Amino acid sequence: MQVEIGYRPAHSMARVMLQPNEAVVAESGAMVGMSTNVHMQTQSGGLMKGLKRMFGGESFFRNTFTAQGAAGEVLLAQSLPGDMVTLDMTPNGYFIQSSSYVASTPNVNIETKVGGFRSFFAGEGVFILKATAEGPGQCLVGAFGGIQELVCDGNLVIDTGHLVCWDSTLEYSVGKSGAGWIASFLSGEGLVCHFRGQGRIWIQTRNPSEYGTTVGRMLPPAG
Amino acid sequence: MRYQILDKPEFSVVQVHFDAPGEQMLCEPDAMVAKDSAIEMKTQMQGGLLSAAKRKLLGGESIFQNTFTASQPGQTLWLAPGPEGDVEVLELNGTQGVFLQSGAYMASAPTVELDTKWGGAKGFFSGTGLFLLRCVGQGPLFFNCYGGMHAVDVGPGGYICDTSHVVAFTEGLQYSVTKVGGLKSLFFSGEGLVCNFQGQGRLWISTRNSASLAAFIAPYRPRKRN
Repeated sequence: MQVEIGYRPAHSMARVMLQPNEAVVAESGAMVGMSTNVHMQTQSGGLMKGLKRMFGGESFFRNTFTAQGAAGEVLLAQSLPGDMVTLDMTPNGYFIQSSSYVASTPNVNIETKVGGFRSFFAGEGVFILKATAEGPGQCLVGAFGGIQELVCDGNLVIDTGHLVCWDSTLEYSVGKSGAGWIASFLSGEGLVCHFRGQGRIWIQTRNPSEYGTTVGRMLPPAG
Repeated sequence: MRYQILDKPEFSVVQVHFDAPGEQMLCEPDAMVAKDSAIEMKTQMQGGLLSAAKRKLLGGESIFQNTFTASQPGQTLWLAPGPEGDVEVLELNGTQGVFLQSGAYMASAPTVELDTKWGGAKGFFSGTGLFLLRCVGQGPLFFNCYGGMHAVDVGPGGYICDTSHVVAFTEGLQYSVTKVGGLKSLFFSGEGLVCNFQGQGRLWISTRNSASLAAFIAPYRPRKRN
């Protein structure tokens, strides 16, 4: 699988080139266009797996695109404006904020992480996925706004609304941004994620829910 | 007349330079950003009421169009679309026409003719809103989309495109609206309907669609107080 990302950064789109009989798994709704020999199959991966995925803030179904008989291409894009990046799978894998996931090679296993993250992302309707793979593979993630790759060497604090994904070698915990709850609330920073250890973190330069709030309050009330 | 497209792809803007007096450009209302003072603007229905109404109803374009005419040499006109996104230009050669998806038309030379073409019962009843404006003639034709604009040269193999991402395609391409995958896919895949293009020609695809952005923002609207 070869991926070319164009139209960066605001309206990026990935052109995924597949060898004969090669496949790519993509988030439902991500397909913009494709060769006619590419066959799409919808998989829920079993009811329980699908349900769990839905609780992860993702759509229940994922689609597998396979180039049949000859080479083919699939154009993939996320629905909101922003950049995309390809991650090469590592032995430890990645944690991915659920709405950032766009596509992956078929050998990448995507699990929904419930638990600690449930509370802190609940307000934003966002959960965390864990992507792991045995052997080489790729994962395509999309951001709202631009993407910056940060390196955590010891400690790093990131606003939860700006997280895209990070190396799973990092330890993380969610907490308040200021010294006290009132200060945290007044600062407008809300909850932040504290990272510890060594690894990379990809952040998005805009916060989707902040954007939604800014534009949404100018619209007429919902009926 | 000379022209160039600047600030591609996010905030594309068209700069038209009229060399000689009498040179003209037809535009959608609201497209003008700036103009030199020796360019006159006239608002009119192109091709009469019937043709304009058809364009409005089926092509999603405005009934009225503005004609900009240079009255002196060396005048500059700036044009931009409403949403953020790309603009492409096609120099029509008189032989091959182009179909624009509803709302994609931005500006053209007066020698370019616009007509609405019935998208076919299939497009109509499937709710894809695939209404097409047929542009033929000679001269530049500017069209725009929300997001980036990706050109695909369709060969003998054909090409499949999500209906909500089709911007334009040249004559010589035939399309049918179909579903991808099986019945389960139609309802659960989130992909909806696609256009299956066959033949030889060029297809322009938008990398985003504005309906998705609107759907994202809708839940953030304030609640109505009782």
